[in-house]
Amino acid sequence: MDQKFEGTPKSEIRLEGRKVTRSDVTNDWGLRLQWQVKRDGKVIATPAARIEADYTHPDKAPGKYEIVLQMWKYVNYRKNKQREFIDSKFIEISNTVTYTI
Amino acid sequence: MIHVGQADVPLCDGVSRRSFLEAGATAMGLSLPMAMELEAAGAVDPKKQKIKNCITLFLVGSPGHLDTWDMKPDAPADIRGKFKPISTAVPGVQICEHFPRMARMMDQVALIRSLHHNTGASHENGQRWMMTGHDFNAANIQPHMGSVISRIYGQKTSLPASIVLPAKIGNTGTSTPHGQASGYLGTAHAPFFLGSDPAAKNFKVANLEPPKGQTEFRINSRRNLLKQLDAIQRKTETSSTIQRDTAYSRAFNLLTSPKTRKAFDPSQETDKLRDRYGRNTFGQSCLLARRLIENGSRFVTVNHFDTVFNVTCWDMHANGTSLDNTYLDYERHLCPQFDQAFTALIEDLQERGMLEDTVVAVLSEFGRTPKLNNRGGRDHYPPAWTNFFVGGGVKGGQVIGSTDKIGAAPHERPVLPPEVVASVYTAMGIDLETTMMPGPGSRPVRFIDADPIQELFG
Repeated sequence: MDQKFEGTPKSEIRLEGRKVTRSDVTNDWGLRLQWQVKRDGKVIATPAARIEADYTHPDKAPGKYEIVLQMWKYVNYRKNKQREFIDSKFIEISNTVTYTI
Repeated sequence: MIHVGQADVPLCDGVSRRSFLEAGATAMGLSLPMAMELEAAGAVDPKKQKIKNCITLFLVGSPGHLDTWDMKPDAPADIRGKFKPISTAVPGVQICEHFPRMARMMDQVALIRSLHHNTGASHENGQRWMMTGHDFNAANIQPHMGSVISRIYGQKTSLPASIVLPAKIGNTGTSTPHGQASGYLGTAHAPFFLGSDPAAKNFKVANLEPPKGQTEFRINSRRNLLKQLDAIQRKTETSSTIQRDTAYSRAFNLLTSPKTRKAFDPSQETDKLRDRYGRNTFGQSCLLARRLIENGSRFVTVNHFDTVFNVTCWDMHANGTSLDNTYLDYERHLCPQFDQAFTALIEDLQERGMLEDTVVAVLSEFGRTPKLNNRGGRDHYPPAWTNFFVGGGVKGGQVIGSTDKIGAAPHERPVLPPEVVASVYTAMGIDLETTMMPGPGSRPVRFIDADPIQELFG
């Protein structure tokens, strides 16, 4: 019996200054939940988001910051030769917020 | 009491040797009614004991102890692994960073860090040790803990005393038993296997669904026909027929009772609570375990996976083929999934006032090699691992035993699997000195050759 994951997880995030806050996740698959932080289009951090509902990215380097909430989506455990997953991946489960420094 | 030679030998409360043999004979060749016969025979007297329940979360494949609950941050890199330890609610006790919710409730958890066994490193050996408390003996298959509980306490309601979710353990490498059968106790005490995924859309309990074309009307018609036949039989047969009649009656009730169907239905819970457990097979199985205990089952086992092949599971060999779990699986999938479901279960039991009467045991087959293999995985390692207890009156906020600097062997207070199983029975209110089981040839036998871990009970 391979594992089933019910529904599709969703959350709303909002920005106050540099602090992002998420709502409860509905249809929570219970897998890794993380903030994806990009600066000028490049991923610079993926801190865990499970315990605290808010997060302030400490980096103050100039640039355009985009933050979105992600959850791991398990499809199967297949991996390539570099030991990365082939089909399973992180998916975005919230809106994206942006700010510029 | 039963008598062996001149000595009185205590069996289960209220069961005479004669009634046991009668019940055993009646059980031959029956299916669902078997699970109800002992209570029908008067085997259960719950008023005599403070009976507690048990939920066992069985981590098939087995987590690496160095990557989870027995971290060694000062060991060399190829031993300590990739994860970092975090502090917990208990000063001085650290666990893996990927169990943040569990860390907050560590004051309720009793970690046993010095588990070990000295037999082969197969999954099945570990499964049998941890679910029966015995080594393998093909001539005398030992019963699962839930079967022992079924035999001793019988059923409380129309629900089976012992239930396994979501499915029985399948292929884990060798073709020997997994320790989830009723062994010498006979199929009357076999666990009820759910055989369905509670996280699936349109989830239904396979074993409670009438065969295709069988409506409730037809089932009731058959019950009425059976009643008429039994009325004829009862004129000529013994009390064992009456026991069988009662058992059949309860089997029909299990099939048709709205209460039973409701107990097996996780959609009765709020979306918020279902989310809290995690909308996945393991999380919803843990939620179902709580519902089943709440509705009268005594011993529920949740298998976290039913195989180790070609799925994400704890068996992190990183072998590049069918056993290719790695640190990535632990970080993204396994640890978060466990952390979410386990802590939801404990909080839920506590909020409902059920935790004091329900012991939760998190068990696995063995540890994993202290030194990472050349692919970055860890292989089977019975000489040391960590399991834990919560609830049921167990004293939390403590660590029992320890391993050496690299987690290779117990350093203090070595603990063997039978001691863990004996602890489950003791936590559930069974007196191991006076309670006996009907062994091969119906001889009364002690059913566990170990003492419970006294530290668990303060």
